[in-house]
Amino acid sequence: MAPAIVVPAMSEQERRPETDGRDFADAAWSVPSYLLSGILVWGGLGWLLSWWTGVHAFIPIGVILGVGLAAYLVYLKYGR
Amino acid sequence: MTLAATLLAAEEGNNPLLPHAYELVVGSFAFLVVFLVVGKILTPRIQKTLAERTEAIEGGIKKAEDAQAEAQRTLEQYRAQLAEARQEAARLREEAREQGAQIKAELREEAQAEARRIIEAAHAQIEADRQQAITQLRAEIGRLSTELASRIVGESLEDEVRQRRIVDRFLEELEGRPEAVR
Amino acid sequence: MTPTMLVAEDFTAPGPSIFDFPPLYEGAPYWLTKPVVMAVFGAIVVCALAWSAFANPKLVPRGMQNIGEMGYQFVRDQVARPFLGKDAERWMPLLLSLFFLILLWNLFGVIPLIQIPVASHIAFPAVFAALIYIIKIYLGVKHQGLVGYFKNMMFPPGLPKPIYVLLAPIEFLSNLIIAPFTHAVRLFANMFAGHLILAFFSAVGFWFLFEKLTPLGSGLGVLGVIMTIAMTGFEMFIQFLQAFLFTMLAAMYIGGSLHPDH
Repeated sequence: MAPAIVVPAMSEQERRPETDGRDFADAAWSVPSYLLSGILVWGGLGWLLSWWTGVHAFIPIGVILGVGLAAYLVYLKYGR
Repeated sequence: MTLAATLLAAEEGNNPLLPHAYELVVGSFAFLVVFLVVGKILTPRIQKTLAERTEAIEGGIKKAEDAQAEAQRTLEQYRAQLAEARQEAARLREEAREQGAQIKAELREEAQAEARRIIEAAHAQIEADRQQAITQLRAEIGRLSTELASRIVGESLEDEVRQRRIVDRFLEELEGRPEAVR
Repeated sequence: MTPTMLVAEDFTAPGPSIFDFPPLYEGAPYWLTKPVVMAVFGAIVVCALAWSAFANPKLVPRGMQNIGEMGYQFVRDQVARPFLGKDAERWMPLLLSLFFLILLWNLFGVIPLIQIPVASHIAFPAVFAALIYIIKIYLGVKHQGLVGYFKNMMFPPGLPKPIYVLLAPIEFLSNLIIAPFTHAVRLFANMFAGHLILAFFSAVGFWFLFEKLTPLGSGLGVLGVIMTIAMTGFEMFIQFLQAFLFTMLAAMYIGGSLHPDH
C-alpha cells in the first residue's frame, strides 16, 4: 500500500457486511469494461504494428492477447 | 418512402451519439435544480425524520424495558414485604401462643394457690369452729353432766370445787378417746 | 406480389429520425425542443413530488410521504449502503436526486402525450456520467493522494513488474475512459432502443389498422397493438432498472474512490 493513501478511520468489521455485495457488483460490472479495454489496448497496438509492418496477423494476435490479459486481470482482482 | 430512404434521412439528421450543446446545458441546469431542492433541502429533512423515528422506536423500547424493570422491582419488593409480613405474623402467633401458655400456667398456678389458700382458710375456720364447738360443748356438757349427775345422785353438788373436779375428770376421759369427738 | 406485401412496401418503419425534434413552434429559438422542455418539466415534477413527500415529514408517515420513503429507502438500502457503508447517508442527497430525476425522465417514455424518454438524447446521461466521473476522480485523489490513486488503480499489488506493463494500460483505459463512457451509453442506449421498439410496434398498429386497413394487414395491425402494450410494460421495467443501475454504478464509483479495496 502506498503511504499516500488516506483511508477514513473505519474498522474492517464495520464495513465487512457491505463489502461482499460490493465485491460482487464490482466484478460483474468491471468484467466487460476490462475485456473491452484489453481488446482496445492490445488490439489497437496490433493494428498499429500491422499498419507499420504490413503483417495483418498482428491484429488478431493483439486482440487475443488483450482478451487474455483482461481475463487474467479480472482473475487477479476478483478471483483470488 | 422506402426503408433505404428512411435510413438516408436518418443519416442526414443528427447523429444520436453526439450530444447537443444546449441539451448539455439544460441537463446540467435541470439536475442542479433537482439536486438543490431534493438533495440539499428535502433529503436532510427526511433523514432527520427517519433518524427521529428510529430514536423514537428505540426510545419506546427502552421506556418499555424500564417500565418492565420497574414493575419487576416493585413485584420483588411486594414479595419481600409479603414474606416479611408472613414471617412477622408467624412470629407474633408463636409469641402469642407462648404468652398464652405462660398466662395459662400462671393462672393455673394462681388458681391452685387460691384454692389451696381457700382450703387452708376453710380448714382454719373449721378448726376454729371445732375449738369453739369443743369449748361450748365442754361448758354445755359440764352443765348438763352436773345437772344429770345431780338428778341421778339426788344430791346437790354444792361444793363448787368438787363439781369442777368431777367435770374435768370426765372431760379428760373424753379426750382420752379423740375418735369419738371428731 | 400478395396484397400484404404491397401495403407492407408502403410502410416505413420509424428510424433514428424520430429522435430529432424541431423547435416547438415557428420562430422559436432552435434549442427550445420537446426533449428540452420535457427535461425541465421532469425536473420540476420531481421537485414538486419530492416536496409534497418530504417538505414536512412526520414521524408517522402518510400519503405521499409513504411513497417518498419507499423511494428513499430503496436507494439507501439497495444502492447507497452496499457500496458506501457508513458513508451512505452523506451521499444520499446526490444519489436520491439522480435516481428520482432519471427514473421520471425514463418514465416519460411511456407516459401518453409526453412519450419521450429524456435520456434517449445522450446529452442528458452524459451530464450525469460526467458529474460522477469528476466526483470519482476528485474523491480518489483526495482520499488516496494523486500518486496513490493512480497507483491503486493501475498497479494491483503483488505482481512481478513486467506484468504491470501489460496490465496497467488496460486498467487505465477501463477505469478512466470505458467506465464513464459505458455509464452514460448504457442508459442512453437502453432508452433509445426501447423507444425505437415502442415506436415501431405502434407504427405497425397505426399503419395497418388506420392508414391502410386491409383484411390481411389487420392481423399485423392487431399484433402491433398487442406488442405495443406488452412492450410498454417491459419498457417500464427497463426504465426503472436503468435508473437503478445508473445510480448504483454512481455509488460504486464513489465508494471505490473512498475506499480502495483492491
